[in-house]
Amino acid sequence: MGNSVEVKNVSKRYKLYKKQSERILDLLVPYKEYGEDFFALQNVSFDVERGSIVGLVGINGSGKSTLANIIAGVIPATSGQVTSDGNVALIAVNAGLDGKLSGRENIELKLLMLGFSKKEIAAMENEIIEFAELEKFIDQPVKTYSSGMKSRLGFSISVRVNPDILIVDEALSVGDKAFSEKSLDKMMEFKEKGKTMFFVSHSISQMKKFCDQILWLEFGVVKEYGATKEVITKYESFLEEYKALSKTDKKKYRNRALNRQSKKNEEPAEIL
Amino acid sequence: MKSAMIVLKEQVKFFYLVKRLSVYELRSLTRGNYLGAAWEIINPAIQILIYWFVFGFGIRQREAIGDIPYFQWMFAGILVWFFINNSIMKSSKSIYSKIRMLSKMNFPMSVIPNYTIFAQFYPHLVLLAVGMVFLQFLGYPVSIYYLQLPIYIIGLLLFLFSFSLITSTLSTIIRDVQMLLQSVMRMLLYLSPILWPPTLLPDSWQPYMKLNPFYYVIEGYRYSLLGEGWYFLENPIYTLYFIGIVAITFLVGAYLHVKFRSQFIDFL
Repeated sequence: MGNSVEVKNVSKRYKLYKKQSERILDLLVPYKEYGEDFFALQNVSFDVERGSIVGLVGINGSGKSTLANIIAGVIPATSGQVTSDGNVALIAVNAGLDGKLSGRENIELKLLMLGFSKKEIAAMENEIIEFAELEKFIDQPVKTYSSGMKSRLGFSISVRVNPDILIVDEALSVGDKAFSEKSLDKMMEFKEKGKTMFFVSHSISQMKKFCDQILWLEFGVVKEYGATKEVITKYESFLEEYKALSKTDKKKYRNRALNRQSKKNEEPAEIL
Repeated sequence: MKSAMIVLKEQVKFFYLVKRLSVYELRSLTRGNYLGAAWEIINPAIQILIYWFVFGFGIRQREAIGDIPYFQWMFAGILVWFFINNSIMKSSKSIYSKIRMLSKMNFPMSVIPNYTIFAQFYPHLVLLAVGMVFLQFLGYPVSIYYLQLPIYIIGLLLFLFSFSLITSTLSTIIRDVQMLLQSVMRMLLYLSPILWPPTLLPDSWQPYMKLNPFYYVIEGYRYSLLGEGWYFLENPIYTLYFIGIVAITFLVGAYLHVKFRSQFIDFL
C-alpha cells in the first residue's frame, strides 16, 4: 500500500513579541527581524500508510495540535511540505460553529462551505442530526449548547462528510461514554473502509485500543515513531519518569526544550 | 495584476457561495432580537428623523437646498449611506471574525468580505424600495431617471468590495485599523453631501470634496431618486475618476489580500 500522508521537514515558526510595537515594526521594516522565534514544530517528517491509524502523543505544548492543524490544512507550515491523497477533515472541540445560528443552520452552513450542493445538504442533514443525538435542540442557537453537544455536532458533521483522512483532536474526550463509544465504532467502520486517521488524545488506553502507530512529539520534534506497542510503553515510562522529577528538574527540562525551540534546524538532541 | 485575476476568478466561480452564505450571515445578524429584520428599517428611520430635526429643523430652519426641500434632499442621499457605513464596518472585520469558522485553508477567502457586503445589500434594497414609496408621496414620483440607479448600485458594490479587500486584510493584521475606520466613517458622514450641501463651501474647495468617491455615488443616487438629471453623463470626468478609483482600489486590495491570506490565521 502507498503512503496516504507524507510529512516532510515540516517546521512551524511563531513569533513572540515583547511589545505591540515590535509586531508592527516586524511587518513594516524589511530585512530586519524583530521579536523572538519560537518553533512549535521543527523538521517533523514521517509517512503514514493508507488505512493506518496514527496516534499523536506528547505532553502539553509538544505541538500535537499544531501538527494536526497543519496536516488538515487549517494553518500553513512555515517550511516543509505535507502531501495527502484525499480530502482531510479535522474534528476539534471548538470546531467553527456560529453561536447565534441554530444547530440545523450550522450544519447547512458548514456543508455549504465544504462545497456541497443544496440537494446533497438536504440529504445529509437528517443523518447528521440523528447521529449527533440532538433531537429537539437542533433548532436552538448553538451558543446555548453544552460543550458535549457542540463536539457531538462537530463530530457528526465531519464524519458524514465522508473524508478520506480524518483527524480527531481530543474531540471525543468531552462526550459521554455512550457517545464516545458510538464514535469509536464509527471510526472502526472507517478503519475497515481503509481510511487513514489521526488521533490526538491524552488517553493512553484509547490509544492502545485503537492506533496502529504512535508518533511521539516532544517540544516540537519527533521523539519516536513506530508501532503502538513499542512507542507507547516507552512513552508511559517517560511519563512516570517525568512525573517523578522534582519541580526544579521539571523546570530545567522545560527550559532546555524552550531554548531549543527558539533556534532553527537543530538536531533533535536528547534532552533528558 | 496576477492577484487581481485570482480574486476575480474566485468571485465568479464562487458567486453561488456569496449568495447563499450572505443569507446565513443576515440571519445570524438579525437573530436574537424580537423584531429581528425589522430593525433594518426602524434604525435608519430613527436616524433620519433625528438628522432632519437637527439639521433641517433646528440649524437650517427648513431652508430648501436649491429647489429641493431639505427633507427630501437629505432622505435621497442618506438611504445609501446606511448601506455604505454598515458594509464598510462589517466587511472590514469579516476575515478575522469568520476565519475560525472556515477551518480550511483552501476556502476561497476573498469571498468572505464579499458575502458580508451582500448580507448588508438585501436590507439596503428593501430600504431603497420603502424610500421610493415614500418619495412618491413627498412630491418626487417615479421618473425615467430611475434607470441610471443600477449604474451607481453596481459601481458602489464594486468599490465596497475592492475597499473591503484592503480593510479586511489590514484589520486582520493590525486590529487598530477597525477603530481608525470607525472614526473615518464618522468623519465622512459630514464630508459627504448627506446632511448639508458641500456646495456651500467656496468654489476652490469643491474639487477636494469630490475626491471622496462616496460623493459620486450619493449624488448619483440623489439625481436618480429625485429626477434631477443624468448624473454620470453630466459629469463625465468625475465618472472616469470614479472608475479609476475603483480600479486602483481593487488592484491594491487584491494584491494585499493575496499576499497575506495564507498567513491570516497566524494573526489571530
